[in-house]
Amino acid sequence: MSRLLEVKNLTTNFHIGVGCVQAVRNVSFHLDAGESLGIVGESGSGKSVTMMSIMGLLPDYADVTADSIRFNDREMTKMSVGEFRKVRGNEIGMIFQDPMTSLNPLYTVENQIAEPLRIHRGMNKAEARKAALELLKRVEIPNPEARLKQYPHELSGGMRQRVMIAAAIACQPKLVIADEPTTALDVTIQAQVLDLLNHLKESSNASIIMITHDLGVIASMCSRILVMYGGIICEQGTVREIFYEPRHPYTWGLLRSIPKMTERKDEKLIPINGTPPDMLCPPKGCPFAPRCPYAMPVCRKYLAPNTVLGETHSCACHLLHPNAPKVERGL
Amino acid sequence: MQKQEAMISVRNLKMYFPVGGSLFEKKKTLKAVDDVSFDLYPGETFGLVGESGCGKTTVGRTIVRLYQPTAGQILLDGTDIAPLSEKEVLPYRSRMQMIFQDPYASLNPRMTVSSIVGEPLRYQGMNAKDIDDRVRELVECVGLKEDHLNRYPHEFSGGQRQRIGIARALASKPDFIVCDEPISALDVSIQAQIINMLEELQARFGMTYLFVSHDLSMVRHISKRVAVMYLGHIVEMAPVNELYANMLHPYTKALMSAVPIADPDAAEKSKRIVLQGDVPQPINPPSGCPFRTRCPYADKGCAEQIPELKDMGGGHMVACHKV
Repeated sequence: MSRLLEVKNLTTNFHIGVGCVQAVRNVSFHLDAGESLGIVGESGSGKSVTMMSIMGLLPDYADVTADSIRFNDREMTKMSVGEFRKVRGNEIGMIFQDPMTSLNPLYTVENQIAEPLRIHRGMNKAEARKAALELLKRVEIPNPEARLKQYPHELSGGMRQRVMIAAAIACQPKLVIADEPTTALDVTIQAQVLDLLNHLKESSNASIIMITHDLGVIASMCSRILVMYGGIICEQGTVREIFYEPRHPYTWGLLRSIPKMTERKDEKLIPINGTPPDMLCPPKGCPFAPRCPYAMPVCRKYLAPNTVLGETHSCACHLLHPNAPKVERGL
Repeated sequence: MQKQEAMISVRNLKMYFPVGGSLFEKKKTLKAVDDVSFDLYPGETFGLVGESGCGKTTVGRTIVRLYQPTAGQILLDGTDIAPLSEKEVLPYRSRMQMIFQDPYASLNPRMTVSSIVGEPLRYQGMNAKDIDDRVRELVECVGLKEDHLNRYPHEFSGGQRQRIGIARALASKPDFIVCDEPISALDVSIQAQIINMLEELQARFGMTYLFVSHDLSMVRHISKRVAVMYLGHIVEMAPVNELYANMLHPYTKALMSAVPIADPDAAEKSKRIVLQGDVPQPINPPSGCPFRTRCPYADKGCAEQIPELKDMGGGHMVACHKV
């Protein structure tokens, strides 16, 4: 498989009045063509900011630096604004969390879907309308002809998300970034949208990056997972490696703190104590050290290096050092 | 358990809201809760699940009488509190408290923690010294520190704010608490902290919880009995193990199967029932069974009559013509 996206040492800082928020710190990952990658983490872990940095969608006070961001064999860090615009919305489509605030309330559904087609494909109005109608059929919206003339407020949450998906895939992008696409939806509607995304992925062979905090969504959608905490990637691996052979204490904690539908119910949940770090002054060493039951003195001083555990599996934790004490994954 | 005396009995509760109504438009009625009955037993946790707009929050709010119910009875230890006026219901308020969903919106940003937690006590006419002692005790109960007392809500994280909200709910020593989606605004790793704390507090003070949530796996974890709501009606109600092992209503089945399972192997094996379409508007609900527009088994009969809750034995109730 060919590399579609390769990010090396991405760092994003926000300079705000009181200081500098270190939202993403030295993040490196890659994505192959046709692959579906999940990014999990809590709010403030930097998962959305990572994607927004790659897409160049952050405000001016954000300071994005990266050694390299290669997309489809082109270096994106060296692109001009104009070149970037040709990629964004054309080769990379984005689906945002809240369909109410990310669709323009003053435009009809037709206009929103046709916009990327007219800009990137140079279609005229009639062609774009025809294409928009096709797209609405592809995202399985009932009664698509009537929907074209409607405004976002006339649609339900699930419908709006379908419209946004239609706009994101309008130009047949090679990569679709979905930032919490189902968080605002009810479970039965979420199931519909996840089904649709899976279906579209199979039929178009596009890659998907799925950002979510819901481990259940990740398990059913993605083949590989990045676990983020405090602005760094603490563990990455295939779905099976993360769910069945996790090595980072944060991943353990995350998996343990959710009740399982299949398990006996009397078992007590095991929470992760403490609260996520304040990224305005993140802990000096490993960001998880203050909450980690296995933290050693070294964890509070230095960030752990990334230990490669296998072809696809790697983890940044001092416990993986050969001289570190062996700990049992308490389950 | 069924032999026990119910603490709260809700009988045929209806809560309608008038909506719209202008010069050109007739007033419509939104039937948020339509004919709901259930019992709550002392010390149990009763889960109420459903999608947004199904009326689960309204049920909770109506029971603690934040709304004046349209019809029906709410029996608190045998006294019907549904028809009481705002003033008459006040003495019962201290027994029933509420934990809200949004820890950002439900705390007054201009009040310190000690005044937020002490407010219910001031209304009870407690003197300042006793309030102070009780507030310290409460704050410690929910895992906050004494030096947090003089801070304002914006200085706390979401999980800590929810703890403040819980301390406030506990202040008047209630024996019944409505937990309205208490964890849905929190991060996964914090959710378990709050759930464990709610369980510990229940074991310590013996309170009854009405746990309103859309998170089916969390409801399964915390509840003893569960009711599933759809468009203002209870469609199925059973002890938790019975419900999750033996679902009878087609909506319950679809709802449960739609929950993404955080286990790749199990997720592969399970088959998702994907319902078509959206939930109908409660302003204009379908005739007969509320679920018939999305139900794969619906036929003509379902459009004619609203199905009644039938007892299937062992406390398992289901409202479906096809069962």
